[in-house]
Amino acid sequence: MNYNFSDGHFSAKRCQAAGLYLHTPPIAVPLPMLCTDFSRRRFFGTMSAGFTGVALSHLFANAARAEARLEPHFAPRAKQVLQIFCPGAVSHMDLWDYKPVLEQYDGTPLPGAEGEVTFQGKNGPLMRSPWPFVPAGQSGKMLSSMLPHMARHVDDMAFIHSMVSRTNTHGPGCVNMNTCFTRDGFPSAGSWVSHALGSMNQNLPTYVSIQDIRGEPPNGKANWNNGFLPAQHQAIAIAAQQQLRNLVRPDSISPDADAATREFLHAINTAHATGHPGNDELKARIAAYELAAKMQLTAPEVHDISREPQHVRDLYGTEDANTLKAAYARNCLLTRRLLEQGVRYVSLYCASRASNVDGLLNWDAHKTLKADYERHCPIFDQPTAALLTDLKQRGMLEDVLVIWCSEFGRMPTRQDGTTGRDHNPDAFTTWMMGAGIKGGVSHGATDDFGRRSVQDVTTVYDFYATVLHLLGLNHEKLTYYHNGANRRLTDVHGHVLQSVLA
Amino acid sequence: MKTSFSALLLLLGPTLAAFATEPLPEGTAFFEQKIRPLLVEHCYECHSTDAKKLKGHLFLDSKAGWQVGGDSGGPVIILGKPEESLLIKSVRHEDPDTAMPPKKSRLPDGAIADLVTWIRMGAPDPREGTSKVEPKRADKSWWSLQPLETAFSHDSIDGFIEEQLAQKGLRLNPPAEPQALIRRMTYDLTGLPPTQDELDGFLAAYKTDPGRAVETLVDRLLASPRYGEHWGRHWLDVVRFGESTGFERNIAINDLWPFRDYVIRSFNADKPFNQFITEHLAGDVLGKDNPEIEVASAFLVAGPYDDVVNQDVVAQKNIRAATLDDVITATASSFLGLTVNCARCHNHKFDPISTEDYYRLRAAFEGVTHGSSTVATREERDAFTNATKPLLSRKEQLMVEKNALSQAIEAQAKLVAESHHYTRPKIDPDYTEERFAPVQARFVKFVMLGNTTDPKNAATGGRLTEFEVWSAEAEPRNVALSRSGARAEGARSASAEDFPEAYGPQLCIDGKLGEQWFIGSPAELTITLAKTETIGRIGFSNSKGKGLVDKNKGATPCEYTVQTSLDGSTWQTVATSFEREPWSPAHGIARALQEATTAEQARKRDGLAVELARVQKQLDAVPKLHEVWIGKRTLVPEATFVHKGGDPTKPLAQVRAASLDVLDRTTQPYALPVDAPEGERRLALGRWITSNDNPLSPRVLVNRVWHYHFGTGLVDTPSDFGFLGSRPTHPALLDFLAQRLIHHGWQLKPLHREILLSRVYLQSAEFRPEAARADKDARLLWRFPPRRLSAEEVRDTLLSVAGKMQCEPMGGPGFRLYKFTRNNVCTYFPLDQHGPETFRRAVYHQNARASVVDVLTDFDLPDTAFGAPKRANTTSPLQALTLFNHSFTLNMAKALAERLQESDPVSRAYALVFQRVPSVQERAAAERLVASFGTEALCRALLNANELLFVE
Repeated sequence: MNYNFSDGHFSAKRCQAAGLYLHTPPIAVPLPMLCTDFSRRRFFGTMSAGFTGVALSHLFANAARAEARLEPHFAPRAKQVLQIFCPGAVSHMDLWDYKPVLEQYDGTPLPGAEGEVTFQGKNGPLMRSPWPFVPAGQSGKMLSSMLPHMARHVDDMAFIHSMVSRTNTHGPGCVNMNTCFTRDGFPSAGSWVSHALGSMNQNLPTYVSIQDIRGEPPNGKANWNNGFLPAQHQAIAIAAQQQLRNLVRPDSISPDADAATREFLHAINTAHATGHPGNDELKARIAAYELAAKMQLTAPEVHDISREPQHVRDLYGTEDANTLKAAYARNCLLTRRLLEQGVRYVSLYCASRASNVDGLLNWDAHKTLKADYERHCPIFDQPTAALLTDLKQRGMLEDVLVIWCSEFGRMPTRQDGTTGRDHNPDAFTTWMMGAGIKGGVSHGATDDFGRRSVQDVTTVYDFYATVLHLLGLNHEKLTYYHNGANRRLTDVHGHVLQSVLA
Repeated sequence: MKTSFSALLLLLGPTLAAFATEPLPEGTAFFEQKIRPLLVEHCYECHSTDAKKLKGHLFLDSKAGWQVGGDSGGPVIILGKPEESLLIKSVRHEDPDTAMPPKKSRLPDGAIADLVTWIRMGAPDPREGTSKVEPKRADKSWWSLQPLETAFSHDSIDGFIEEQLAQKGLRLNPPAEPQALIRRMTYDLTGLPPTQDELDGFLAAYKTDPGRAVETLVDRLLASPRYGEHWGRHWLDVVRFGESTGFERNIAINDLWPFRDYVIRSFNADKPFNQFITEHLAGDVLGKDNPEIEVASAFLVAGPYDDVVNQDVVAQKNIRAATLDDVITATASSFLGLTVNCARCHNHKFDPISTEDYYRLRAAFEGVTHGSSTVATREERDAFTNATKPLLSRKEQLMVEKNALSQAIEAQAKLVAESHHYTRPKIDPDYTEERFAPVQARFVKFVMLGNTTDPKNAATGGRLTEFEVWSAEAEPRNVALSRSGARAEGARSASAEDFPEAYGPQLCIDGKLGEQWFIGSPAELTITLAKTETIGRIGFSNSKGKGLVDKNKGATPCEYTVQTSLDGSTWQTVATSFEREPWSPAHGIARALQEATTAEQARKRDGLAVELARVQKQLDAVPKLHEVWIGKRTLVPEATFVHKGGDPTKPLAQVRAASLDVLDRTTQPYALPVDAPEGERRLALGRWITSNDNPLSPRVLVNRVWHYHFGTGLVDTPSDFGFLGSRPTHPALLDFLAQRLIHHGWQLKPLHREILLSRVYLQSAEFRPEAARADKDARLLWRFPPRRLSAEEVRDTLLSVAGKMQCEPMGGPGFRLYKFTRNNVCTYFPLDQHGPETFRRAVYHQNARASVVDVLTDFDLPDTAFGAPKRANTTSPLQALTLFNHSFTLNMAKALAERLQESDPVSRAYALVFQRVPSVQERAAAERLVASFGTEALCRALLNANELLFVE
């Protein structure tokens, strides 16, 4: 940092020639070190000095030592997480959880629960799935014929068929599936992971949330919120259809003017910091502007999926005639590019909120399951499968843990007078795949009808205890003090699901 | 046998050795022979300092352990009383919840008998000196629950601070420079930078008499209306004020701002805080018909709640419990600094707060529901009634005439309709077809005049799933399909802004049932075929499947004409619904109305319509009474029970609205009858919280004041004075300040004045390495702690230095930095451009929950799902991107540049932004930047500068 006020020539080219252009720190600095939190923080249950006492230059110089703070509790199996979230409460009995008994008893009442009242009202008789199930893979796992592409991956997937939720309402349900609490205001799993492990890259956010082109999921931003964790742990919204906000240099400003302004700002901030010792925040803000400049170079490149060869784009279906499918496919491809660049946690959404028509914008098939899912499945199937194939071919599943979620399941009965299914928080399916996961297994089970989880009942706490475990984190030790409690992602519950671990 | 004995020997180690050589008193001998081995074998695995995982926070490897007890609260052994001792109840498996050892069979009877004998003996236990046990939880002797100190060793703030500094060999910094001081104080009290005039005036006054100049400054700032805006904003953080409902629908609340204005008004008027708090809880009771006070009770409903309709009865109970939990949490944490919410499912794990205390608070709020109510003075209500009453009665009279006339006409129309012979069946929502003589057409128009639920008006609001146009040929084709190149146009009655395809007319020609077009106005569907075709029929449906019952599918068009055109301008009607049997008798009557009405009746009908419209206009002109989001007070409170494990379907003992036991050693208790009116319950709670014998309320309040002045409270967990919260750095000072608050009649301004005029506050922020070595974060205050500006201060500062800030008028509905859209649920999109209507103080931003807005969110504006007693303070590249690139900064840079049109723009810029002259080097660099890229580039840099964003 040898800028000198008497030496200012504000042509970007001259600055560059003089080696002054964008004062890049001499040592690679992981992003979280600069996303500093200067409030009191407790880490892994103990007070940590944070960064306040450590001069930033030391952080630069001793990157390795500072990293020690971020060491996991034990050897991790996974380094990154890809969460695929299908909001609207996906019907487990129509995609993943084969229930032959429903075919037999189609049209008859659910034993012992005739006319039961659930979220939207009274339930009618049992309803079979509109589509046949077919065996898939070596394991012969029965899967809906609506998912021909996904079927190719079943031998790598570990299904959890016995999930239960604490709520029957979409918004709290989605938030619960992401934060383990039904109320807004708690950090999402991605935020916890960002807080615990920090970033793996210099030029991109740690945690990215990719919205579907149809809009935000129920409860919107509360699903990827940092809650009470510091703001840098919230997900940054990026999508193929939406670049990172404020990333691009404004059109009205020339590149030279932009560089010169930045240079001048750097100079006055550096002089100011020198005159105000004992305040590391000042230096952190200087470094933040430097990283922002790097991000401006990297992020647009990563975002540009036209750089992918045609055969890859075709694999995903980014130019499919179905515009919704093509849009989701572009997000799938963007997901791979972000993971490749070392984004720690990506949440990829397929579908959005509850609109004026049930099941239109998401998987909430209350009235017309067949028509709704014949719209949603083709959007989901090929692009998601392509993403998994692509990750596998590139060897990325060695590091990336893939988790698939929905907020809860649906009833085995038809909603009275309709051909759809009402909400069911007592049973639903999720699956995991990739780093640290044993493929071709199924954990837990619902009853014969799919009404309730009965065997190895699994909570969202268990689900995330397992995710954290795979990342090398003990879910009982990852805590943060907030308003009178040392909070955990898994609240005061959770057991690691041993049977899905490789 | 041998193995287990040697293992035991290993465990007991030195004690057993002592036992071997010295005779022991009888009780101790009994303990060593019978009890210790028993405890080691059966209990230590979970209840000792060596336990792999300590259970229930209970230690049984020391006397102190069982004396203190664990999560169940209190000692587990009552000396001499085995029957009352939890230890005995547990080993006897009296209650499955506490049965010990858990999931194993009971201990041998002999072992239990030994324990009983031991407790009868008075539980002699020699395990003292070596105990590693520290208290793991607070009891009622916890510091914050004790009465306020009344005797102090100092009579000023400085004395307390200097005493502790001296103990560490530290001292205060010298006084701050006047320039730094006015900047610090102006930000601290008003959240804004001082103006150039204010600075010049202060510097001049400071030269003649520094002490007086500072006092005058403090008094001026405290009297400024900007004070209430800034300190009111602090308070809004504490009470989790947010202007949307949160949860799934997250609807913007547009009538909660009067509460924000009440808070600002109260701070500016220096309303005594005990009154202020009581008004929060019961303003509607205390200030009935007095809107200024009534709106205070909006505090109760200023938090998030779930308003999604749920038919499941258990879910309804859980949602209600969660809704009241927010009110309970906000109340206890804001006013008492207690985390009572942690006692919802079980007794508080760390503080002496029982579940009963939690449900006592619930009983106080059992009558509260969310929503808006009329808030008006008695005079306003009377005036409204007086103004509207005659108009309403005139309207009613006209309506009687109108209805009589309508009935007469309809009776005539009924005769006409009944005499008519319809040749064709009524329409079928599943599928209706219209055939006509083959005609050449490029365009087909479906003009809808009525639908199945509304016989009289156009079909707006109805829906269609499909519309087909069939060619007239041997093998007819549906030529309206979009995949054949046809286009559909028509207005929509619903839309989703972020998903333009939703509800559109194109869904009618996609060949798929399911998605519907929501018919807008005008109710016309126009199909443009790919090419001119000879067509012979159309078909339409509003159905997701034949015979399907779908009560949400909406109305179907049933009165219509079908028109065709070759050029899109000349149309011919090829089919109508008029000879079909009407959908209902009412539809038939509607169809015959025109024919059946006489000229005289038509004249009278039109005359009545004109008169009704005139009266309605007058009614509309009467100003409406204000509705404010203070909640509804119509609910009859249900009985309140403790919920086992927090489960509302498992009621235990009934509780009453009453004072909390956690403070029963210091405060005067009260308990209301179970059927006490709900308003009285809240009022009683407010009075108890603010009684002068309640030590928590004043302690918590003065600590908040200190927190906002110095960046960190004496207790640095401002809403948690319990076991997991921090201990005060200066306990005596905290109580001293609390007593000063009470002395000042719970008014804050005199307290601010005492703090701001202390030497602690007036000292410089200068960094001294040797002092930092002893006290890194300056918690002992050897310097004034510098800080970054808050989110609101950043935005307000940019507006101020750019000369764009409009401070007046204060209050009123908030502005928005997002676009708000609603399509069942709501979405908030941050704005790329912030227009002049947003150039107000950020406290007037309508902060919606779970929304992200530029600049404010980046600089740590909290999402108020919970109270935010302390803001995060983060630095990130994304923050830099926003402040450097968002159009707001660029617009402010431009506005600032426009203020520089002088011969020396650099000096002027430095004066406006930093309030100082640039150094020679700075000037040279800045002038070069201006020469190459203009003044806006300079201004953009200065608005991003640390010197602007930090205050010391």
